[in-house]
Amino acid sequence: MTLSKNKLKEFREQHSLSQEALAEKAEVTRQTIISIEKGKCVPSLELALKLSKIFKCKVENLFQI
Amino acid sequence: MNNIRYVKGDNMIKDYTKILIYKLSFSVLVVITGVIFTILNIGRTDFLGFNSVGRWLIYIGVLMIAVSFMAIGFKKKRKIDERMKKIASESARWTFVSIILFAFIIMIIDGIKPITIPYYLFMSYLICGLLIIHIVLYKIVLRMY
Repeated sequence: MTLSKNKLKEFREQHSLSQEALAEKAEVTRQTIISIEKGKCVPSLELALKLSKIFKCKVENLFQI
Repeated sequence: MNNIRYVKGDNMIKDYTKILIYKLSFSVLVVITGVIFTILNIGRTDFLGFNSVGRWLIYIGVLMIAVSFMAIGFKKKRKIDERMKKIASESARWTFVSIILFAFIIMIIDGIKPITIPYYLFMSYLICGLLIIHIVLYKIVLRMY
């Protein structure tokens, strides 16, 4: 499965967060954030919800299939 | 002693000492089995470079105890997240496929020329081979995701 819309990098940069800082907040490794940003890995529902909570936005604004 | 580790990225903190106790208990059990085998003269044949199964078991048990204690010093807090779980399951899946392929190839080779090595030696080669295959596949999958 691939994501048609992945705005994680944009949101991260808007919030002036480094990959390391975001990974820390989302309780994952930095490699996972890199992998999601590159589109190599599709985040789980739990992680997608966590990320939307961090950026205070809807999940569909971050990712779409 | 750092006795806390993160498991599966969901903030679940597991007591590492519990795992260490299980490891040590199993190692001691292996040593005791080895001692019993040696006393009762069970398996008095050459076995994996040792002159009896009991002595080999004692050696392995002591090695396991040493490794368990050494691991305490090197153990660090680690996060296991969904990506790592995915990589682990993918590499395990490919290792399983390779076992089937490997078994198929061995069957053919055995049909052409019977394999006459002892069973324990064959199994130890197989286990070592599988570990190497798993490590290599893990490293490959790690680059893919």
